[in-house]
Amino acid sequence: MAERIKIDPVTRIEGHLAIEVEVENGKVKDAWSSGTMARGFEAMLTGKDPRDASYITSRFCGVCYSVHQMASARALDAAFGAKVPWGGMLIRNLVMAAEFIYDHPLHFYQLSALDYIDIMAIAEYKGKDKGLLAVKDKILSLVTSKDTYPLTPRYDPDEFCVKDPDIVIMAVKHYLEALKMHAEARNMGAIWGGRTPHYQNIVVGGVTSYPDLNQIARFRTMLDRQAKFINEVYIPDVLLFGTGPLLPLAKAGVGGGHLNYLAYGGFEKDPEGKDLLFPSGVITGLDPANIKVNAFDPKKVTESVKYAWYKENKPVHPYDGEQIFELDKKDAYSFVKAPRYDGMPMEVGPLARMIIAKNPTLLDLVKQGVQPGAVARHAARAIETKLMVDAAYSWLDQLQAEMTKPGFKIHDTEHWDPPASGMGVGFFEPPRGALGHWIKIKDKKIENYQAVVPSTWNASPRCEKGVRGQYEESLIGAPVPDTKNPINVVRIIRSFDPCLACAVHIIDPQSNKIRKFVIE
Amino acid sequence: MSDNFKSGSDALIKGGEQTFEKKIVILGVGNVLLSDEGVGVHVANELIKMELPANVSVVEGGTDGFRLLNVITEADRLIVVDAVKGGGEPGTIYRFDINDVRNSPSGFKTSVHQIGILEVIDLSGLIGKTPHTTVIGVEPKSLEMSLELSPEIKDKVPRVIELVLEDLKK
Repeated sequence: MAERIKIDPVTRIEGHLAIEVEVENGKVKDAWSSGTMARGFEAMLTGKDPRDASYITSRFCGVCYSVHQMASARALDAAFGAKVPWGGMLIRNLVMAAEFIYDHPLHFYQLSALDYIDIMAIAEYKGKDKGLLAVKDKILSLVTSKDTYPLTPRYDPDEFCVKDPDIVIMAVKHYLEALKMHAEARNMGAIWGGRTPHYQNIVVGGVTSYPDLNQIARFRTMLDRQAKFINEVYIPDVLLFGTGPLLPLAKAGVGGGHLNYLAYGGFEKDPEGKDLLFPSGVITGLDPANIKVNAFDPKKVTESVKYAWYKENKPVHPYDGEQIFELDKKDAYSFVKAPRYDGMPMEVGPLARMIIAKNPTLLDLVKQGVQPGAVARHAARAIETKLMVDAAYSWLDQLQAEMTKPGFKIHDTEHWDPPASGMGVGFFEPPRGALGHWIKIKDKKIENYQAVVPSTWNASPRCEKGVRGQYEESLIGAPVPDTKNPINVVRIIRSFDPCLACAVHIIDPQSNKIRKFVIE
Repeated sequence: MSDNFKSGSDALIKGGEQTFEKKIVILGVGNVLLSDEGVGVHVANELIKMELPANVSVVEGGTDGFRLLNVITEADRLIVVDAVKGGGEPGTIYRFDINDVRNSPSGFKTSVHQIGILEVIDLSGLIGKTPHTTVIGVEPKSLEMSLELSPEIKDKVPRVIELVLEDLKK
């Protein structure tokens, strides 16, 4: 008999998302992905000066704000007819490269790795390495005092979990190192962005402040440290896990889903944007032996609200999207709309990007039998982190060369004032995948604004045709031998780097004791 | 001998205080798009304009959670200003030491499961020191979409600033 399990929240540290699955004979038979919080910030942009959009949208999200600023600036570039000079594009690229450098390792270590190791194996570590013994003591003391917040919620280790004490203790040591590297990396974007969080420098037409050699040197020093960690720790760890203990999961393609992939494309490698670090494209029904990539046509993007808590509407293009909540709507189960490309659900993010780019390292793994799925997503994320580090060095060198040229520009000042009317779309590829902002301008003010975020694509509910979204589809058939321990379900969902944390940040102590701290 | 030792160590401590002043960070957090949710940000933006001792820095942390680790791990003492749902009347001001309220197994829970600033402070302990942390909070009235604080909460901002400044002297 089928049994339903609900997992809420799914994410370990970021986001809020509920997943419900129906399990029959040890496998997931059906699945529902539900975004449990309403967004709809777009509504407050209507009537504002379009140039405010990049600052306001950067407050949309508590996790990946700067990418909204970037997508918004790109939408404005298009609507204003601004042409960002190469110097401005390089600085934008560097700020956004920093996002990848601290996001992807964070996802692997802090948000995912604990799904793949039996942390208690640490107790069995018999080695004499002082550093590792300190890690052992630290974790065991946390466990003894039941203060394991960052490590929980967790599930019971299954046959895919690494239990070798030497590997586990090394992984935990790297978890702690990654946390330190993350804290350092946070300052990289601020070198150009002026501050962190919520950078100030990315605006319509380019960026606001000229670079100097000191900034370039500081960025390079930090990049060196991050590159060392990424090359010597992060990538080897992903390879060790992916081609070792997790190979059976990887080969089974657990968590594959629809095998449809979409990338809008991003990170110009030349002033005309002819060559992109992440090419754009669409794949439907991937055949790993014969990868066929079609051109992306922006007109084919629509959003369906049949199963979302919004007023009923036929699927519409984001230019015409609206946010009118209808909380008692029959059959609705999510605040996330259902974006579709040419009517089909899509996966966006690192795996989509690396398949569409036909990345040789990823294709090599595929040749070794790795199927698209949860493990492949971690591999793709590591691969593109390396691509990003290498590209950042190249952009830094180009910026240094560019800034000494006469007439060096970072901003298209001719197009600073809003047009009387216009429309534009800003596509970008943030760490989590394809992001689009659509703007319509009337009488120099914002008439309509819509953002379709990466997790909307992946976490989408069913569309009006009843077709499941990518999270939902990727869960079908997932092994759940014990419904009390649905570890494969969380592994699959977390492999997408889910984030629906759209920015409520209030402290709620869930305790009446707080009353005694009232001071006035 | 023992007297000499004593005065010597006193001198050392004094010298230490002069040379290594504690780094104090005032961190205002919240979402300015959701009216009173952003009270911490509004307070931080006022404090940024003021002249404060050299060892004090003000950070407007916006909606960030996890990524404020860099700020937190650099602080010896942290004063967090945020909206707090404590069940009091709108505008109620709370002040508590983070250690006094860590009573649930997972420490604090933010209302929507997103990582909150207090969880990040917990995490900072894993890679270094956890700063001594005080929270000054305000019970919100409205969480509707708006860039403005509601009038009742706006009226409390000067008092919250006073409390923060008093805290600096402690």
